[in-house]
Amino acid sequence: MSAKRKAPSRPTTLGEAWALRWPERHLLSICALAIGLGFMMVLGSGYAEGQPFEAMDLTPFLIYGACLAAMHLTLVATRFHGDQILLSSLAFLAGFGLLAQYRMGTLNLSDLTSASLYLFPAGIALMLAACLALMRGRYERLKDGLWIWAGLSLLLVAALLALGQRYRGGVYGAGLITPTELLKVTVVLYLASFIDRNAKALANWGKGFPRPPLRALLPVGVFWAALTALLLLQRDLGMFVILSVTLLIMLFVGTQRLGYMVLGGLAATAAGYLVLGLFAHGQRRIQAWLSPFDDPTGNSWQILQGLSGMYSGGLWGEGFGEGNPEYTPIAQSDFIYSVIGEELGFVGCVLIVIFFLIFFGRGLGIADQTRSSFGRLVCIGLTTVLATQTFLNLGGVTKFIPLTGITLPFISHGGSSLITSFISLGLLLAISEGAPKAQGSSARKKAPTRPKRATQKQPASKKRPARAAKAD
Amino acid sequence: MKLPLDPSLWSSVRLVLHVAFFLAVFYLLKELVGLRDLARLRHLPKPKGRFRVALILLGLLFGGLLIYQATWQLTGVYRPQFISFMQLHDRRDFNPAHWIQRGRLLDRNGEALAYTRERNGQVQRVYPDGPVFAPVVGYTQPKFGATGMEAVASVHLNGGEPTSLDDWGELGRQIVARDKRPKGKDLVLTLDAGLQRLAVERLQGRRGAVVLLSPQDGAVRVLASQPAYDPNRIDSSLFLQQDPTAPLLNRATQGLYPPGSTFKIAVAAMALERGFRGTLDCPANGFTTSSGYRRIRDHEYYSARRRGKTWRGYGRIGLAKAFSRSSNVFFAQLGVRYGHDTFYAMTDRMLMNRTLVLHETAYGRFGMRTGELGRIPDSDKYGLAQLSIGQGRLLVTPAYMALMAAAVANQGVAVRPRLIDAAPSAALGRFMSAETARQLSAMMRQVVTQGTARGIDDPRLAIAGKTGTAENPQGDPHSWLVGFAPAERPQLAVAVLVEQGGYGSTVAAPIAHDLLVRAQEIGLIR
Repeated sequence: MSAKRKAPSRPTTLGEAWALRWPERHLLSICALAIGLGFMMVLGSGYAEGQPFEAMDLTPFLIYGACLAAMHLTLVATRFHGDQILLSSLAFLAGFGLLAQYRMGTLNLSDLTSASLYLFPAGIALMLAACLALMRGRYERLKDGLWIWAGLSLLLVAALLALGQRYRGGVYGAGLITPTELLKVTVVLYLASFIDRNAKALANWGKGFPRPPLRALLPVGVFWAALTALLLLQRDLGMFVILSVTLLIMLFVGTQRLGYMVLGGLAATAAGYLVLGLFAHGQRRIQAWLSPFDDPTGNSWQILQGLSGMYSGGLWGEGFGEGNPEYTPIAQSDFIYSVIGEELGFVGCVLIVIFFLIFFGRGLGIADQTRSSFGRLVCIGLTTVLATQTFLNLGGVTKFIPLTGITLPFISHGGSSLITSFISLGLLLAISEGAPKAQGSSARKKAPTRPKRATQKQPASKKRPARAAKAD
Repeated sequence: MKLPLDPSLWSSVRLVLHVAFFLAVFYLLKELVGLRDLARLRHLPKPKGRFRVALILLGLLFGGLLIYQATWQLTGVYRPQFISFMQLHDRRDFNPAHWIQRGRLLDRNGEALAYTRERNGQVQRVYPDGPVFAPVVGYTQPKFGATGMEAVASVHLNGGEPTSLDDWGELGRQIVARDKRPKGKDLVLTLDAGLQRLAVERLQGRRGAVVLLSPQDGAVRVLASQPAYDPNRIDSSLFLQQDPTAPLLNRATQGLYPPGSTFKIAVAAMALERGFRGTLDCPANGFTTSSGYRRIRDHEYYSARRRGKTWRGYGRIGLAKAFSRSSNVFFAQLGVRYGHDTFYAMTDRMLMNRTLVLHETAYGRFGMRTGELGRIPDSDKYGLAQLSIGQGRLLVTPAYMALMAAAVANQGVAVRPRLIDAAPSAALGRFMSAETARQLSAMMRQVVTQGTARGIDDPRLAIAGKTGTAENPQGDPHSWLVGFAPAERPQLAVAVLVEQGGYGSTVAAPIAHDLLVRAQEIGLIR
């Protein structure tokens, strides 16, 4: 292991890259081991119940293993030197999601053309594509597309409203695909570009009595009003909450003005009351949250069944594949967490939460280490989106907060959500790879031509980070 | 494809896989943390820890969520509504809620009034005495919920009320070991099963209530109400039918009845406190406050008239004689003499119009009403005269009358009635001075030795009491007896009510007598 410690931080040869990414290789193989054990549990319990065992049943695990190997080899081949912990915690969460979907029977193994089987590889592929396309600082170019992101965001919701169909109080596209999930990326990109460009103006809260710079906020205000109106027409309250939290946090991080959070908190309280008055299904959910035993067989049925499953699971759980999650309505998507609670117990839940926290911690860590303010904002934005989404889902299922009908990133059934989460991850990875050295403060001073090749050829040295920190 | 694994071996293989899975995940976590340093992003600027606070906040947020989740997942037994929801609606066979060995409800001698047994793979609650203890024990049934002590002490019975370190240890053991048969805890009541059965038996199917309690510590020995439902057979017809006998009504603690002459105990106490020593004229043609109202007469007047004779009246008599003969004319005058304010001050001191709590937990309370007394205008003297003989706008519960007798027996201090053996006794308040209580005790003893309750005078036991025959709009008068024994050093207070039973002296009094004598035989009175 001492030999591996000497691996350069900026690999130039395949061998160096192979050595640098040893931790990732090690962690991914443990992931594969753990998920493999999970698959054995699910397969075994099915077999014990009398279902015939077929070789096809191993397909999901083989796909998972192949994806991990392909992902790792691609990153080594491209001499990628970005974050490894983030990738490993994701590999576990996503593998766990695949396992959970397999266990819930949402993976269609008999039909090789069904989309469900290819969702996971497609997600990994998209993540790698996003990462490779944007790494080496290329992500900086995304900020030029400021109004493209804004337009795309609005277009996505508007198109869905015009073409989609209503189902369970919300609007969905064809085949229950929700293209609005992509908002979680496009809106973050728009906000990051906007705040990055206008950071000074936005931070100018005036002297004396603090008041927000309304003129600077106007464009984002107009965009937000349009987005809110469209989202509320679509009855997508959860998305609205996620994006609003992200807006506030990104404004705060971009300007260091706590006032945005205070103002946002006040606005959120007011909006909360207003919105609840307008949405019948929102009110029902609040009611089910506050007094679940008033209507146990109606409004609160789903959440109480989920909690019953968790109670049955206790501390250690009944064993993967041994529970009865079919008693909880649509357990495979919003309520997947209660299935985990039932089959792997409270310990399983704590583990999942810890992995999510590691994931978010890495997201914040990358933001901390990123020199470019645009990159930092994108990191913070994407992490906030995922963290808020996770919290809304887990909180809703455990009755900690009212149900919002939001999927759990990487684990819930739901193709659009999964793909979007993978793309977000690709972006985070690309940013973690960092910009070429000269593109920092010195590049801005020198010239628009970026001396990219020169930096790449510089030999890696241990002193570099220290120097970079000083220069920053 | 056939696997070499025998499905019967699966349960042990599953356990191994389960443990192995957790170990693998823990190992992954350990390596993630351990390799953190090695996998540091050394090509980027050094971390400044700008978002450390954000990460800590995030950790707290999710930590709070997990703790809240644990209150359902691990200690769901604290949520009685949740448990009954699962018992009714959860189809998971392995849910521990279906297998809780709920604790027994025991009488003071350890006899089971309710217990749980497993039959045909189902857990069942059994009430061996059927309706006898229903007014206290209540029922628990997933579909219709729970009442009585089954509801109030539900969490304790389910084992979810750790009071000692051992209890916490047991709860922890059940959570960690995934006990498939969670054991609840027994609860010992103050009731005496034998006495309560005798009370129900002596009511002989008539509607009524019997309450026996210990004056010094408030321990309730009998709390019977008839007719009652059978807690072994709870179904919707019980709640849908408009049954005129109201089996769901706990007559002892919730039933409101005119107290009739038994309320003279309170009025006599009021007069004694005010220093009344003299005599009042009690003519045969009775007393009224205004010629427009029907005259209030004594019982002897009516019985003499029924026999075609005339009664000459008591003439001038004192409080003791009027009390033992239960003279309406005397007490009506007495009440009017002291006026409205004195009367209401006395009833307020004696906790009229309240609900007293016999046992309370966070999940419910077992309460008793004292009574209902409407405020009448000061100009309504006739109304006051009616109240003074326990009629008019005055209703009480049998449990309250037992409490009043207990206060007299306990030197004027009322002790909160309690149903849990282990609960500490607590004083409710002073109903009257010790001196008044002493005089009143002697007067109540006289009622049995030479007054209206002569029929139950027994050489074996010195009973003190007061009969009541309460007029009511439903028909025949309600029959009351309120008292205690032994008169010199009281150890048990009693109230018996028989709805439309007729004379208190002939119906309620013998029941009270039999119960007190039996109590002496079993050692409750020494």
